[in-house]
Formats: sequence, structure tokens, C-alpha cells
Amino acid sequence: MIAQPIPPVVIPEVEARIEVDGSSRPVIVLYWGTSLIWLTIASIAGLISSIKLHSPEFLGGMEWLTFGRIRAVHWDTAIYGFGGLAASGTLLWLQARLCQVRLPYRNLLLVGGVVFNIGLVLGTAGVLMGQSTGVETLEFPLWAMPLLVVPYVFIVIANFTMYFKKVTKHTYVSQWYLMAVTVWFPILVLSAEACTNLGAVDGVAQAIANWWYGHNVVGLFATPTGIAAAYYLIPKVIGKPIHSYHLSLLGFWSNAIFYNWAGTHHLTGGPLPAWTITLGVVGSLMMFIPVITIGINHHMTMLGSFHLLKTSPTLRFAVMGSMIYTLSSFQGSLEALRSHQEVTHFTHYTIGHVHFGMYGFFAPLMFAMMYYGMPRLMDQEWSSARLIRIHFWCTVVGMLIYVTAMCYAGIRQGLMMNDPSIPFLNIVRFTIPYLALRTLGGLILLTGTIAFLINFVRIITPHKYTWKTPTMLDTERDWKKLVELEKQSENGGTK
Amino acid sequence: MVGIEKENCFVFGVFMFIWSFALISGITMVWLLAWAIKRGEFRDLRQGARMIFDEDEPIGVVTDRFPGAPR
Repeated sequence: MIAQPIPPVVIPEVEARIEVDGSSRPVIVLYWGTSLIWLTIASIAGLISSIKLHSPEFLGGMEWLTFGRIRAVHWDTAIYGFGGLAASGTLLWLQARLCQVRLPYRNLLLVGGVVFNIGLVLGTAGVLMGQSTGVETLEFPLWAMPLLVVPYVFIVIANFTMYFKKVTKHTYVSQWYLMAVTVWFPILVLSAEACTNLGAVDGVAQAIANWWYGHNVVGLFATPTGIAAAYYLIPKVIGKPIHSYHLSLLGFWSNAIFYNWAGTHHLTGGPLPAWTITLGVVGSLMMFIPVITIGINHHMTMLGSFHLLKTSPTLRFAVMGSMIYTLSSFQGSLEALRSHQEVTHFTHYTIGHVHFGMYGFFAPLMFAMMYYGMPRLMDQEWSSARLIRIHFWCTVVGMLIYVTAMCYAGIRQGLMMNDPSIPFLNIVRFTIPYLALRTLGGLILLTGTIAFLINFVRIITPHKYTWKTPTMLDTERDWKKLVELEKQSENGGTK
Repeated sequence: MVGIEKENCFVFGVFMFIWSFALISGITMVWLLAWAIKRGEFRDLRQGARMIFDEDEPIGVVTDRFPGAPR
């Protein structure tokens, strides 16, 4: 008797993963790819504004590159261009993977991605031409904003569609964060635009609305997406479930409850009713609860797996991001205290903190998501390990130089400003070497971004550097063959 | 006077929009929470933490390495 060959059995989860990755490829590549272009633009704009601070004559003859305009371009392209597109790509891909459903409305999302980019170009051009609204984080002219808001509606619809069609029984903790982002962000942006640029309120109330938005766009948009990425990537890469699922849910709900209140700490010392600032300070200190729970969870999950940092690019960026989340959040909560602000308010310290959070926590987690996702989406490995290493070390070194210089200079600047016997010009002179260091840090960060961009362009185009034995894709390639074989046999059977 | 009335109408409209949006969102979140409890989302949290693993990428398997690195 001749033994019959056992027909290959395809694991449903693997089949779903291949389907999901295949269906989301064009959309996610568009969102992530353009986000990196915007990060490069934001970095160049940031570099120009940084140079202007210690060498004011630099590009001084061009009115469209004056500090007030180029600095607004730097922040808005960083938060909406890089942050918005990278986070949206992450949201869509992660949700599709966790729900195990094909990405819906792909054409709509592609059109949305193109429209969002057009909105960014027009908004940036508007600011450079002098049409900035002057409202922090909402500087883009009002006429450009619908082009950013409408595509986001598509993302919200796709996100909810995937969730309600999900095949999986449970809702993973990352999904809590992703669902929340899509509920919170539209309320934030529409309310803030109405209360600031549309003029529903004015004076002090407008300042409150402005900083409520300015703080929450980081905390209720960038932060949850970053945490969602960390909760997926760290356990997935090291092959170990998160330390405590209970803690992760406590972290989510405490973050949801307390973050919203923290924005008014930006206005300490301003002409606001004292209780509004106290509310912001209390909200900031309560943030210790989610930060500690999330920190414990990430660090305890990693315990015993730190040696993998040597071998996994995704893990390097993910662990860097999650560790700096803890550090920068502690820094932020303490910074909200009135006693702390007596020294650091209106100094370079705040700039150091913002970059610590955005480039130390959020950006590395988005990079980690791309390093993990792109080989799976494109079915080919990153072309250069060296470029990944350059990107990583440039991010670490550049960010450390930047943040250390700004925080140290900020504290010294604040202490000097509190001493009326020191002439203001002496304080300005004192900060100049640190501002030059900031430029150096920014230049190193830009070098890392360019290295990543080169690697990204190579992975989306067929290239001669393709590795024959990519990260873990050789197993997936086998699965793809199996899926194809199974489909062929099914088609043959029906015929 | 007409200008002021128009402005007041606009402000009122904005606040109505914000409050109704907040109210609808709040109700939706409570409904979602009830839906999730009914669906058993909180019943087996240990299993929830393991849902990102499968037979092909199980617990204990590292799923990322530098390109070109030996497996």
C-alpha cells in the first residue's frame, strides 16, 4: 500500500495575516512613505529655525523663511505631516491585523491619503506666504484644514468597520487605544478650531482652548498610537505576552480620564482663574498612574529579553520609545508643578521636553512599526542593515544632544531670569552655545531620517540588494505557497 | 446690533455642536463598554494577551532580526 501524501493544512490566522497584509499594502505604504517625506521637510524647517536662533542673519533676506513662519511650518508638518500620516498608517494596519479582516474602503483611503497630503502642501504654503493663523499648533490657514479633516473621517469609518467585522474574539489592548484615538481626535480638532480660528470665544478662553488642544494633540492622538504600537510590537517581537493585561487596561482608562485635563499647565502664570491651572496641574500629576502602569508593563515584559536588542531593529526602536515614554512623562508631570514652572516656564527647557516626547517616544515607535511592517507588506527585506544602524544611532545621539542641551540651558536660563540683577542680554548670550548644540542635534537627527528614507525607497522598489533570507519572512513565503496551492486545489475541485 | 446677534448665534451654534458631539460620543462609549462586556471581552484577560500569537508565530519565537542576519 502506497502512503498518500498529507495535504498541507493552512492555519487560518496565517491565511488571514497574508490577506490583511496584501490588502493594506498600497494604503499603508502611501501613508508611511509620505509621512517620512514630511518628517524630512519638518526636520529641515526645524534646522533652519534652530540656526536662526544663534545666527539671526541666516536666510534673513527671505521673508517667507522668517523665524515666525518656518518654526510654524516645522511644528505643523511634524505633527500633522509625519505624526498624522505615520499614526494613521499604524492605526489602519494594526487594526486590520488585530481584527484579522481585510482593510476596507481601500480606494477611499488612498484618495484620503492624497487629499491629506495636498492639504499639508497648501497649509505649509499658506504659512510660508504669511497666512498663518498665529494659533499654536493650528497655524495652517482655515481654508486648508478641511483637506486634513475630511480624510480623517474616512480613517474613522474604516477603523470602526474593521472593529465591528472582527474575526477575533478579544479586543487587544492596542485596539482600545486605536479606537479611542478615532473618537477623541475629531472632537479635539473641531472644538479647538471653533474656539480659536473660528472665533467662538476670545481672550483668555481662547488661550485655554488653544492649549487644551495643543497638549491633547500630543497626549490623545500621538501618545495612544505610540502606546498601541509598543503593546503590539514588544510582545510580538520577543514572543512573550505582556506582563500584566490587567495593568494595561488600568493604564488605558486612567490615561483616558486624566490626560484631557492637563493642558492648562501650559498657561501657569497667565491671566487665568487659578482653579483652571490647578486643574491642569492635578491632571498632570494624576498621569503618574497610567505612566507607571504602562512603564511597569513594558519593562517587565522585556525582562530577560534585553539581549534581543542587539539583533532586532524593531525592538531597538520600540524599547527606546517605551522607555523614553516613562522618562518624558515623569518629566512632564513634574514640569507642570508651579514651583518647577517658576524656573523653567518660558525657557528652552519646554522645547527640550517636547522633543524628548515626540522624537524620543513617539517617532521611534512609529519607526519601529515601519521596520516591522514594511518587510511583511512588501514581501522583501530591508536592503541595508547598516542604514538601519545609522538611523538608530543618529536618533539616539541626536536626540540626547538636543534634549540635554535644551534642558540644561533652560534651567540655567530660568534661574538667571529670576535674578533681576542679571541683564537680559547676558542671558541670551549664555544660551547661544546651547542653541548651536541644538542645531548639531537636529542635524544628526536629519541624517538619521535621510538614512531611513533611503532604506524606505529601496524597500518599495525592486532592488538588487534584496536579501534571500529575510528576517522571518521565509516562513511566511512557505505559507503563501501553501495558501496558493490550497486555492488552486479548491478551484480545481469546484471545476 | 445685528452683527452682535449674528455672533451670538454662531457662538451658541458652536457650543451646541461641541456639547452634542460630546454627549453623542459619551453615550457611544457607554454603549460600547456595555457591548464589550456582553460580548465577553473582559471575561478571559489572560487569553486576550495571547491573541497576537498563533501557530506560525507562537509564544517563544522571536519574529524580527536585522536583514541578512542568520536565523
